[in-house]
Amino acid sequence: MKTTGFRSTILYVLGAGFLLGLGVFLYGFCTDGGKWALQPFNRHITGESLSSGEGRVLDRNGTVLAETKDGNRVYAGDAATRRAMLHTVGDTNGYISTGVQHIFRAELSGYNLVTGLTSPTGKANGSDIHLTLDSSLCKLARQQLGSRDGVAALYNYQTGELLCMVSTPDFDPQNPPKDLNTDKTGKYSGVYLNKVLSSTFTPGSVFKLVTSAAAIENIPNLDSRTWKCNGSVTINGNKITDVHSYGQLSFKKALAKSSNVAFSQIAVELGADKMQAEADRMGFNRSFSMDGIPSAKDHYSVKGAAPDGLGWSGVGQYTDLANPFHMLVLMGAIANGGTPVMPYFVQSVTTPAGITTKQGEAKTGPELVAPDTASRLTGYMRYNVTNGYGDGLFPGLAVCAKTGTGEVGHGQHPNCWMVGFSSRQQTPYAFVVLVENSSSGSVASAGHIASALMKAAAGGQ
Amino acid sequence: MKISSEWISVFLFALRVAVPLLFISTAWRCFSSMRLGKRREDPVIVLENTVTHKIIPVLYWENSLGRSWSCDIVLHDQTASRAHAVLMRRESGWLISDTNSKAGTFVNGRKVKDKTPVLPGDVISMGATSLRLKRTADVKGMKPSKPRWRHAAAPSRLLASATLLQALLCAQVCLAGSRPDPEPLIPFGLLLAMEWILYGYSIHLLGHVSFELETLAFLLTGVGVMLLCGTNRKAAYTQLAAVAAGIIVFRFLIWFMGDLDRVMRWRVAIGALAILLFAVNLAFAHTRNGSKNWIYVGPVSIQPSEFIKIAFVLVGASTLDRLQTYKNLTGFIAFSAVCMGALFLMKDFGTACIFFATFLIIAFMRSGSLRTILLACAVAVFGAFFILKFKPYVAERFTSWGHVWEHVNDSGGYQQVRVLSYAASGGLFGVGLGKGCLKKVFAATSDLVFGMLCEELGLLLAVAAVIVIAALALYARSLATRSRSTLYSISACAAGGLLLFQACLNIFGATDVLPMTGVTLPFISLGGSSMVSVWGMLAFIKASDERTYAARRHRK
Repeated sequence: MKTTGFRSTILYVLGAGFLLGLGVFLYGFCTDGGKWALQPFNRHITGESLSSGEGRVLDRNGTVLAETKDGNRVYAGDAATRRAMLHTVGDTNGYISTGVQHIFRAELSGYNLVTGLTSPTGKANGSDIHLTLDSSLCKLARQQLGSRDGVAALYNYQTGELLCMVSTPDFDPQNPPKDLNTDKTGKYSGVYLNKVLSSTFTPGSVFKLVTSAAAIENIPNLDSRTWKCNGSVTINGNKITDVHSYGQLSFKKALAKSSNVAFSQIAVELGADKMQAEADRMGFNRSFSMDGIPSAKDHYSVKGAAPDGLGWSGVGQYTDLANPFHMLVLMGAIANGGTPVMPYFVQSVTTPAGITTKQGEAKTGPELVAPDTASRLTGYMRYNVTNGYGDGLFPGLAVCAKTGTGEVGHGQHPNCWMVGFSSRQQTPYAFVVLVENSSSGSVASAGHIASALMKAAAGGQ
Repeated sequence: MKISSEWISVFLFALRVAVPLLFISTAWRCFSSMRLGKRREDPVIVLENTVTHKIIPVLYWENSLGRSWSCDIVLHDQTASRAHAVLMRRESGWLISDTNSKAGTFVNGRKVKDKTPVLPGDVISMGATSLRLKRTADVKGMKPSKPRWRHAAAPSRLLASATLLQALLCAQVCLAGSRPDPEPLIPFGLLLAMEWILYGYSIHLLGHVSFELETLAFLLTGVGVMLLCGTNRKAAYTQLAAVAAGIIVFRFLIWFMGDLDRVMRWRVAIGALAILLFAVNLAFAHTRNGSKNWIYVGPVSIQPSEFIKIAFVLVGASTLDRLQTYKNLTGFIAFSAVCMGALFLMKDFGTACIFFATFLIIAFMRSGSLRTILLACAVAVFGAFFILKFKPYVAERFTSWGHVWEHVNDSGGYQQVRVLSYAASGGLFGVGLGKGCLKKVFAATSDLVFGMLCEELGLLLAVAAVIVIAALALYARSLATRSRSTLYSISACAAGGLLLFQACLNIFGATDVLPMTGVTLPFISLGGSSMVSVWGMLAFIKASDERTYAARRHRK
């Protein structure tokens, strides 16, 4: 029987296998439990047999943007607000991966390892999420964009609070269109993307701010120099054109007129190394983040570029790509003397017991612009508004701005940009507006949306 | 009214916290009681060398004697065979059996042919060695061993805490809906009746001293039945009927195995019956969920392969004198091959895996030959390769293994991702009986029952339940040298191993640690035939505990 006893140790092999398998399962349960539980098909989150209630999402004024009622996720009362807030709040299915409902699904559902999705008291145990956004401002931006695709964002560059973030195309999360996932015409192309954070666009003349910064820092007699603009200049056999023939232009005027002829020559004069260094310093080729959501990296690379390519790159064409969120941060940096306060959009996450588990606060980002450069850029950008776009767009707000028209080819109209900020301390707002495929000019499209937003933001104080 | 519904919620949460704690404490007390109840390995009798007067303690119920170092009593004698004889203790007293030795075995000078009784004072001669059988009490310096049956807890108290646990679960089911529902009290009452009737029958009528194994089985069965009460009332009654049948099979097997000669006599017949049952199955069975393993007898559908598991273990086990006389495994290998062949024809690959694992345990415990095990595994790998090559639909089950999240809405991972998702939803204490959502997924109460356990009763209870099954296997192992015969040790280890392996396939299949095979979780899954077979397996473990048959002797 001794040998039988010895041979019975074969069961230890089986026991070890059991413990190994159990270990694998428990490890997954502890590390990925939240991911497992928070699935759109999980009826504990979205079903009638609800054992927990998901928390609410509210804007800065306490307007409810999303809540769970009778087992269903319901969104804000009016369709315009729902659509305007779609990319910030997210959809029920979690397809919008940068939406609050996806990023903060663990907090909203109240999931934790100990009680799972259940609630000992039977009451909703998900946390409420208060946003810094103003849904009425978002709604205004959405109305201004109308049927056009584009983005609009606005933030307080002193406190970091993001007040407006809108991306189109969108849909109503309460009543998603039936052809949303089956449409082949492309009308919903990019509908699940929050373009403010996740897309990049050809910057066009907005990029001239980078070229200007490089010029400020590298051309000593910049303000006394002039450029002759006869409508076009040929670099390396490639013709770079302007809309008009502006004649003799000072640097300030060249920026206000947004002369490609002048700025392509400046880029070539500065050379690839200095242009690349300035772009990198100002945040190109880098990802920023807002409440843990990374922004898309924009692109500027002139390494080994031919002179004509370098020239085009200086006016925001070539292979240049810019991310709207980065542009917003850059405006905040210039407005703040070179170092931005980083935007955030989650003001607080509060459990049903009233405990705040996350609190948004002003955080200083990396210095993107040298203080002297920032102050000179502010002056040039202010001149753009007063002598170019018209100060009437932003009455009393002392706005400094730059427009851009990014040519995209493929038979499409250009992307029209306006980026800028109010230099008044009482209205510390920076903005970025982009209208895609726009048949009207930058001021007429993006400029008017920016004007409406800035006026509303300043008036709402 | 609102306050009261909130209070009910808090009360139910308190119940959900209490249930796993009570479960763990009851199981712990059962196992520690079983551990304390084990006999110490003191010799009852000794053998004295008539020449050297050296005392050799006899430790086991069956003892091999021979020249080989692996024998229980090693004879340092070149004229003795390597495995010479077996000295064993039976109801009638001590017996010796010669196991095809060259020189033969003699008791008081008379050659042993069959099993021959040996009395204290008798001299056993093997080759040049002569040993005299003596009582421990007659040897100076050795105290007679007293059988000590100690308990950590009274058996009735252990069963009472199992009953209390079932009452807590029943309360949860009753309060699960919007208004209290008294109906779950009926299955609870039936379960209560069954366990206390079995208790009274075993302890008071038969005079058994232990009831821990049955208590553990009721602990698990109760969880399963209450889980069904919150899901499918009708199924709960079916399950209870199966438990009743299982208990009858349990008691019958214990009685049947009380006489080792009877078991050895019937072994061939049982094997033949098993093969016949497979043949009937193949001829008449219906295909359900891809496996052709269901037979309808009137309104009842049964799975013959579940009953064959019992036969398989019985056929595989053997007493030590038999093992030592007929060393080869040919007969058992042939029988196993037929069983597994039949299962492949039935396309029941999960059960085939269970038979194979059980085969490995039995084969190793009988032969101790790693070569046999490796050879069997090689054949299995080869066979698996051919199956995958010629039956590609089997391979489909494996394609989604480890990638179930890429198959959220197709058959490859639909069930597994829901098991994981709902298991995590339950947290440590579950969402409460009857409040789960996994029950709406196909096979929730059988193949995916581990997920339901996690979801409705919480991770703590689910893990505790499967650890109890694993502990049953390890308990069976710890009895290996203490049982009354190798037949009991081998069958108990095989049964324990079978239960644990089946539990592994079930829980790891459902949670994507292993490919999904679709087998039941012992004691908990819905399944009549499975429940009967599981109680049969428990009978093997029970029989291995020497106390099971001790009580009867006390009564004489």
